[in-house]
Amino acid sequence: MLVVEDLYKSFGNIQAVEDVSFEVKKGEVFGLLGPNGAGKSTTISMISTLFPPTKGNIIFEGYNILDNPKKIRNKLGVVPQDIALYPTLSGYENLSFWGNVYGLKGAELKKRINEIADIVGLNGRIKDKVDKYSGGMKRRINIGAALLHKPDLLIMDEPTVGIDPQSRNHILDTVLELNKQGMTIIYTSHYMEEVEYLCSRVCIMDEGKIIASGTQHELVELINGKTQINIKTDKIDESLEECLKNISGVYAIKTMDDIISLYGENVDILLAEIIDKVTKYGRRIESIDVKKPNLESVFLHLTGKALRD
Amino acid sequence: MISIIKLRMLRLKDDILVFVLMTVMALGFTAIFGASFNSYRPTVLIVDNDNSSYSEILMNELKENNNYNFINSDMDEAVKEVEDGNVLIALIINEGFKESVESGGSISIGMMKLRDDTMILTLQEIVSGITLKMAGGIRIADITADFIKLQSPNINKEDIKVFAYDNVMESWKYKTPINVSSKVYKTNVNSGYDSLKHAMIGFNIFFSMYTMVFGIGTILDDRKYKTWQRMLISPVSKVSVLGGTIIVTYLLGALQIGVLILGGKYLFDIDLGNSVAGIITISAAFVFAVTSLGLMLSGIVKTNAQLGSIAPIVLTSTSMLGGCMWPLEIVNNKVLLFLAELTPQKWAVQGIGNIASKGMGFQAAIFPTIVLLIMGIIFFGIGLKIMKFE
Repeated sequence: MLVVEDLYKSFGNIQAVEDVSFEVKKGEVFGLLGPNGAGKSTTISMISTLFPPTKGNIIFEGYNILDNPKKIRNKLGVVPQDIALYPTLSGYENLSFWGNVYGLKGAELKKRINEIADIVGLNGRIKDKVDKYSGGMKRRINIGAALLHKPDLLIMDEPTVGIDPQSRNHILDTVLELNKQGMTIIYTSHYMEEVEYLCSRVCIMDEGKIIASGTQHELVELINGKTQINIKTDKIDESLEECLKNISGVYAIKTMDDIISLYGENVDILLAEIIDKVTKYGRRIESIDVKKPNLESVFLHLTGKALRD
Repeated sequence: MISIIKLRMLRLKDDILVFVLMTVMALGFTAIFGASFNSYRPTVLIVDNDNSSYSEILMNELKENNNYNFINSDMDEAVKEVEDGNVLIALIINEGFKESVESGGSISIGMMKLRDDTMILTLQEIVSGITLKMAGGIRIADITADFIKLQSPNINKEDIKVFAYDNVMESWKYKTPINVSSKVYKTNVNSGYDSLKHAMIGFNIFFSMYTMVFGIGTILDDRKYKTWQRMLISPVSKVSVLGGTIIVTYLLGALQIGVLILGGKYLFDIDLGNSVAGIITISAAFVFAVTSLGLMLSGIVKTNAQLGSIAPIVLTSTSMLGGCMWPLEIVNNKVLLFLAELTPQKWAVQGIGNIASKGMGFQAAIFPTIVLLIMGIIFFGIGLKIMKFE
């Protein structure tokens, strides 16, 4: 449905996006995962025709959107990262305006607004002013404004930033429900759990580049299914790291602040040996956290930093 | 574009207070300033160093003139008040005034002032005329008394003199030595400066500019609320976003000027002259120029708060230069007059003023309208050029 080819975008001397390529298939939820500043928003801004890339192509249903961006705008629904609504107007008035913008009017618009109010769970509050809504409700109506015209491709840029868990769950369930109904979705986030929950395929971005892509299984395979063990001790130095690295079965080791992260197989045996080594080395273990392989581990493995650094 | 127009209309309810406030302020200032200028009488101090019956007569004659507020004073107070700029001028009736009048010699009246202006020049003419008239009257009374005394030696000459003087001066009140006849071609309006009318035109223009500039500034609200980018990735074009905003702002500005003009006509009974079509034409061009100016200012700044900071400076200073606050006829400085030419306010005030105050017809609207349209096109072009569409 959407093919992004060799995309580059620079702002002055800053290279925001570099050599980004991926494909989104019809009916899937495609994830763009990466920390803040990774280039996710710039990438989807180009896909949503806000500004053109410095170089590269974006093909939507076989049509290069750079040739005539206006032509595909009606088929896209974009949920921006910021709340893009008029706070002094009611939810209904906001939806009415955005519906108008996408060519809806009269009874059709009214019907669609009521449907959207149901989808985003704001039926009882739709006539209230947006500035009276909670953060989560604003996020939901922000999503609703992008759904009015039933877009073929829904692009969601970090739609759950800064909201309560209840609203977050509602949004995630809404995304899944929309996908079940056949909507193709690009979902960007720096929350690994959201991407794991929603997306069938994922692109991991960092510093403007794609550093890995594929299904979740394929990505986890990149670290050979290694378990991540995080150990917090009272003091860390290079000699302790060296000592742990030499344990048989440890695949990789990284240190951040006062936590050492090790990757390896056969956790039970490995764990006993690690505790033994650290204790013998004269260090006090404050906590141990064992994590199954996930996208966070992949990101850490590939970049040496956590997603929310 | 219809969707943008509907949105802007819907959002007007946020700004309705500003609209009402600006309208009320314009009408209020018209009332206050119009009334103040009409009742203004500059104060003139009179210092009587002669203390004679003739100096007293002169003072009484002067006080009959209602255009100035004549007050008796002493020398020290007069010096202080003139130096402090509290009075327009001080007149000094020098010692020997009576002897000069009686002998028919040269009469000198001193004037203490800081500068010359048209009001002082007019006053000089008035004082000179009254003094000469009074001296002439006294001379005639003196000759008449001498003649009657010669015919009837027993008669009291001073009584005759006073009687004759009073009669001469009384005669001046109803007869003028030169009769100037003039013919006024019908205009149905007063020609010349009318402070209430000028206040109405000036303040209407000044306050309505705020509504228009901040009206177009709603584009900056779109940026603040992040709806600007959302609009730019929607099927609605940039031209429609700007066009819809401009249309609503234009209509709002036109409505306000219309309300203010009608308010002036019916609240203050101001005569708008012979060409309402001319006034409407100039107003329409002015609203276009100011809406475009608002677009340009909105392109220069990044936020509505910044617009809120620079708009009052730009609008107030150009309104002062353009003659909204006072008539440009009292400005002599060539630089200021040149700068006035560059403001839309000058052309609107002048054009509407020529029709409403001087009784000119529609032809008086043509040149100001052309200038305002050219200004509007220039502001619009610059505004579009500098407006950021990302």
